[in-house]
Amino acid sequence: MTVCLVPYCMQRRGSSTPAIAMALLVLAGCSSTPPAERSDSRDHYEAANRKVFAFNMGVDSYVLEPVASGYRNTVPDGGRAAVDNHLRWASMPSTAINSTLQGKYENAALATLNFLVNGLTLGFADLSEDDQEVHAEDFGQTLAAYDVPEGSYMMVPVLGPRTARSLTGDVVDFVMNPLQVFGTSNAADTLRTAQAPVGAVTFRANNFDSFNDVKYNSLDPYARTRSVYYQTRISLLEDRVAASAGSAVSEDEFDSLFEVSE
Amino acid sequence: MMFRRHVIAVGMASLGTVLLPAGLVSADERQDAASALIDRMIADLKDFLATDTGDVEARAAEIDRVLGTYFDMETITRFSAGQYWRVADTAQRTEYSGLFRDVLCGTIVRNFDQLDGLDYTAGASSAKGDKFVMVSGTFTDTKGVRPPVKVNWRVLTPEGSPPRVFDIEIENLSLLVTQKQENIAVIRKNRGQFTALIDAMRARLDTPVHTN
Repeated sequence: MTVCLVPYCMQRRGSSTPAIAMALLVLAGCSSTPPAERSDSRDHYEAANRKVFAFNMGVDSYVLEPVASGYRNTVPDGGRAAVDNHLRWASMPSTAINSTLQGKYENAALATLNFLVNGLTLGFADLSEDDQEVHAEDFGQTLAAYDVPEGSYMMVPVLGPRTARSLTGDVVDFVMNPLQVFGTSNAADTLRTAQAPVGAVTFRANNFDSFNDVKYNSLDPYARTRSVYYQTRISLLEDRVAASAGSAVSEDEFDSLFEVSE
Repeated sequence: MMFRRHVIAVGMASLGTVLLPAGLVSADERQDAASALIDRMIADLKDFLATDTGDVEARAAEIDRVLGTYFDMETITRFSAGQYWRVADTAQRTEYSGLFRDVLCGTIVRNFDQLDGLDYTAGASSAKGDKFVMVSGTFTDTKGVRPPVKVNWRVLTPEGSPPRVFDIEIENLSLLVTQKQENIAVIRKNRGQFTALIDAMRARLDTPVHTN
């Protein structure tokens, strides 16, 4: 059994403006793939996206994978947990604001409380004793809540898969980073600059085996990544929770199964 | 006239009391049967893990047995090819079925070590329409290193037949839907040729597996 994820989480854990600007430039120069040549109707720029994906896999092979491997092997579990905690803490203001905009006031309160309490350690230690989990909410989800269309699927250089809507949300979430707003010291600058690459490395390290299984052992890593991205994104948008025997997949997906009798 | 109306009303009410609980029991029974199936499968896997020596062939044989015993492989195979199952001829379907099972088996065997040290806790179950029951559970790392993993088992509960697992969703990610979308992408990239998927699967099986 494998859990295969893609680096979509980087969008709320320290996206970088240059990568987004680069993505927009790349897309501006792309022509749409004819519908007959698309392997998924949502993927309007598939030909260009596949090239970017190949580039991203190159970056992964030469940079991210070896660094993540080293991080996994050298940093003790406690240290890795502290870094994960900090990155989660840094996303709390964005979660609080977006939860409020979506009318999820309890989650907004929890995120605010978590941010304030753990702010004493810049989030590296989790001081909150509340068992209730804060559900991450980003501006892409807020846009979805206001029925903004998701737009085309796009593979963003370095950042990975996005939709036009989630990429727009990234820009707003980037501004909501607490270190962006309040941090003016050199230490804050350093932390802010480090967040994006550290987020990428920790994500890669935390999903090392699953990621490699997709990268090296699947029939079409690009298509599998796209499928995983959409399923994960949909379950986030619809607040589906596995623990309550919910499902990430619409029941419509299985209707065709019973239409075909042969 | 009045008496006849009374008899009809009593008759309808009696019919209702007979039918209503029967319907409810049936839904409950489906859920119970699905949960029992998952419990049996987990117990079966635990027994194997207790004596597992790491031998790849033994693991592959065990996985193949588990797939045959607890999973509805025929329906899974058909679903995994999407609408292209209809355009495939009998020989292609047969070949694809064999390759799909091998690929699936290989995937599970490759990730078998991840099952080590996991404890399973059964959760709630709920009916999804009149064909499926979703059984939830959580895998917890006994050493506390890995975070808990939520899992949903989508169980097909056909009338008159024993329940069978149809799909596994890990952290809201359907393994079968992912595989289906990947398969369809391979076929579409090759102008709708079903043989392209068969060739890709054969090539995959012939390529040495990347290990971490």
